[in-house]
Amino acid sequence: MDGFDMIDSGTDGPSVTIRKAEASHADFVLSNVDLAFANSIRRIILAEVPTLAIDLVEVISNSSVLPDELLSHRLGLIPLDSTNIDDKLLYTRDCDCDGYCERCSVVLTLVAKCTGDQNVTVYARDLAVAAGAQLGNPVITDEAQKGSIICKLRKGQELNLKCIAKKGIAKEHAKWQPCAAVAFEYDPWNKLKHVDYWYETDAKAEWPKSANAGWEEPPLENEPFDYNAVPGKFYMDVETVGSLPPDEILRQGVKYLQEKLANVIAGVQKTAGATGTAASADGDINGMEDGYGGARSPDMGDANGYGRNFNDGYVTPYGGAGGGGAGAQTPFGGYGGGGYSNGW
Amino acid sequence: MNAPDRFELFIMQDGEEKITAVDETRVPNCVVFTFVKEDHTLGNLLRSQLLKDPKVVFAGYKVPHPLIPNFELRVQTTDETNPRAALIKASQDLIKDLTIFRNNFTREWELKKMIEPQKEGI
Repeated sequence: MDGFDMIDSGTDGPSVTIRKAEASHADFVLSNVDLAFANSIRRIILAEVPTLAIDLVEVISNSSVLPDELLSHRLGLIPLDSTNIDDKLLYTRDCDCDGYCERCSVVLTLVAKCTGDQNVTVYARDLAVAAGAQLGNPVITDEAQKGSIICKLRKGQELNLKCIAKKGIAKEHAKWQPCAAVAFEYDPWNKLKHVDYWYETDAKAEWPKSANAGWEEPPLENEPFDYNAVPGKFYMDVETVGSLPPDEILRQGVKYLQEKLANVIAGVQKTAGATGTAASADGDINGMEDGYGGARSPDMGDANGYGRNFNDGYVTPYGGAGGGGAGAQTPFGGYGGGGYSNGW
Repeated sequence: MNAPDRFELFIMQDGEEKITAVDETRVPNCVVFTFVKEDHTLGNLLRSQLLKDPKVVFAGYKVPHPLIPNFELRVQTTDETNPRAALIKASQDLIKDLTIFRNNFTREWELKKMIEPQKEGI
């Protein structure tokens, strides 16, 4: 460990103050990190945390006023319970079945018919999860316990649908987003001048104060601009759609970021191995790089430990879903071994 | 109609390498890493972590084309180390920081839930 470590993460690393902890909502302040770190957490929980969503709909009969495509789109957007999805479900593309099976999908059926004179409203609660499924119940949070409206039926109209829900990420389609919104703010007083407020006559009078302004000191009158200042406090508000609780979304996001970084370590070592043999003939390679190629240099043990151990747990970025648990413990050992490891 | 499949944003094609490195010959100790199927989430994170390292002379990333999900990370170091080692060190430090973040968050979350149990279940 050199001096760099002392300056950087030697003190205590990222710190968190939670302002609100609710079932579908986490409001917290992240500090002692830089803008890129906070933004990467925001980006990963928005786009790369997997959930379950209806992806295929087999329409057996649909005599409602909604066309099949519209109905399928509506069904896709219904949040389904996805807690611990990584332990329960594979991605269909990594599964060795053809089509879909119970290891990579959850089947929901929707059967509804209107027989009376009164119109019938079909709600998300009417989706029936196949017996034995470990997850995939429609998320219902309203007081009447109905869930979102799927469609309405008039006398004689009926629906008979088989919906196949699959695991996916929001990079592919927004229906897999675990978060409805992630609020992200820093520097509520605009001391860093990252924002240029438009105004008629006076920006201060015309713009409302940020809700987070009370958490930071207001700037003094005629305070000189500090051009060395960097943002240090980030106000984040994670609002879920209900498929995952907010704390799990964050833990999953951290896990997938760490997986990305572990892949960087493994990938860089691989490039060193390739050029190591080619470049050593030129004689312009130093001992460090030789160490990577041969993976024998004792001082590289730490780095190799990361790469190797990690790969035991996560064979491919997408294939390790089922077996990630055991292997994933070691690479972050020492930190993950405490009370918070949660099995991954 | 002719839009590329959206899974091409993150699924590696057969034979594709996640990271390829090309040594920048005009400058000493400089490598340009090309990351395939990655975006600003990783690029900006690595860039900012590399810049904290006093042995890193230059670190920058760019996404050469917005429709192609790749980015290039250029790293130049002093001759005390080399770009590969610097990048590995940056990744390790970030993994540690993320673990600290996760543990701090989990601890704070459990404490907050204990204080305000009535808010559970919305």
